[in-house]
Amino acid sequence: MAIDKNSAVENARNDLARRLNINAADVKEKSVEDDDFPDMALGAPEDGEMSGQMITSGWRIKLEAQGKTYEYRADKNQVRAFNFKGKNHRI
Amino acid sequence: MNRNNFFIHLALALVLVLVAAFAGQLSRWRKQWRSHMGPIVSAEKKRATTTEEIALSETRFGRPEVLVKFKSGVSQETIERLTALRHDRVEDRIENVEGLEAIDDLDNADAATVVSEYQQLAEVEYAEPNFEIELDASEAAGPLEPILPHDPQFTDQWALSNSGQRGGKQGADISATLAWATTTGSDKVVVAVLDSGVDYTHEDLIQNMWMRPASMAPYHDNELGTIDDENGFDAIDSAGDPMDENGHGTHCAGIIGAEGENNIGIAGVNWKVKIMPLKFMNAGGFGTTKDAIEAINYVIDRKKAGVNVRIISASWGSTQRSRALEDAIRKAYENDILFVAAAGNATVNNDRNPHFPSSYNVPNVVSVAALDRHDELAKFSNWGVKSVAIAAPGVDILSTWLGNAYEEKSGTSMATPVVSGVAALILAEHPRMSVDELKKKLLASTDPIVALKGKTVTGGRVNAAKALAN
Repeated sequence: MAIDKNSAVENARNDLARRLNINAADVKEKSVEDDDFPDMALGAPEDGEMSGQMITSGWRIKLEAQGKTYEYRADKNQVRAFNFKGKNHRI
Repeated sequence: MNRNNFFIHLALALVLVLVAAFAGQLSRWRKQWRSHMGPIVSAEKKRATTTEEIALSETRFGRPEVLVKFKSGVSQETIERLTALRHDRVEDRIENVEGLEAIDDLDNADAATVVSEYQQLAEVEYAEPNFEIELDASEAAGPLEPILPHDPQFTDQWALSNSGQRGGKQGADISATLAWATTTGSDKVVVAVLDSGVDYTHEDLIQNMWMRPASMAPYHDNELGTIDDENGFDAIDSAGDPMDENGHGTHCAGIIGAEGENNIGIAGVNWKVKIMPLKFMNAGGFGTTKDAIEAINYVIDRKKAGVNVRIISASWGSTQRSRALEDAIRKAYENDILFVAAAGNATVNNDRNPHFPSSYNVPNVVSVAALDRHDELAKFSNWGVKSVAIAAPGVDILSTWLGNAYEEKSGTSMATPVVSGVAALILAEHPRMSVDELKKKLLASTDPIVALKGKTVTGGRVNAAKALAN
């Protein structure tokens, strides 16, 4: 099922709360922008992952928690945590 | 003409024939004398130049004239003395190259012999025949006429024929319409699209999809077991149904080989070809290195089983290096399979920040950058004067999509199948060409593009018509 912008933000918020072991209510939405990513892993591939080299439209989601900013990337197929503690994660 | 005049003319003609015959014999005597009494060439040297001499004798010369470069410091007097000794004369001095003389042999000896004479002289740096340059057959027959297909959306395919549509630069294309005057492809050439699978039911692809011949045994892998690969291979599920759930692979397949001249949709670089669909990326458009390797192994296996699969089109990658993937691609090379790969879309120099598999230093890998409709490097495209071989159109490329649809997409993903498609056209014309020759041909037939200077190995855009010439 295709993911829309709102559900992508919701998924990202819940994922960050889980990773930081905090309540989702403590994760604030800083910005959500339409963007083009360089590939089909949204420029955030996991280890050992290969992706189609096609420009892919999606959303760049910035969340705030515990005084820090975290980036998520999403499109209709997926949501990814970008560079979370040095690694990318597909959620 | 009266009877007396007739006999006078007959007598004159006979005299002329006798004079010509005598002159010819004289020339032959001179040649024989020259070969026996002329400059002394050691037997060893003679043997060493035999192959070269054969090659020269097989070459067409306009006249027995040679170009001789005398060493620096050799005086004009010496040059004239040396030529006079051989009953030759300096016909012309090439002003811009010191010591280079065009020499005419007055005995009409063949150029190979004269070249050999001069090569023996200590005063000479080199000598070579003055080759007669002639048009090749295709040029002599006149320029090729472009072939335009009647596929209704062809006018939107700027990559194949850029008429300046939507503000593009006229002629900034791969010269497909001229190439099609030579060939529109062959269903004997199989191109593996290693991707998210292909919608093999798409109406513009269905006629050009590869299917395992009934006479060929299903794919068997010791670990995966036997797989009914009638329509190709799905490495994700180790199954035989490579149906695309994303669209990316279908798009790439259409660029290579959407059926041409069928009055439907678009035309591929090849109107006729066989697309072998391989699925290793999922509905999201990403997959694992392990599944990519499994799919490459499948291609090699099918090649060994008799499928004429000569190209793998790989519109994917990452910055992570995998020795195992590199080894699999090398195995494909050993099996005479070209591996065309996307350079990546991170706007970086791959010489410094490599992208794989396109940056693997394996002889069959052709790394492809993307151009826009203005012949500019696409703003997203990676480059690399050492690591990116060639460029092709890759912005706003119209091609097939899921559900009999068509979409415009951008990326080195789209440039890659353009090059794979041209490689397939070459193989349609030259089916026995080796992978090394094929790569060389692709890279030697580009159009130089200013924006690519210092950005790619060739500095050029792939040109299908040039690739098919000669």
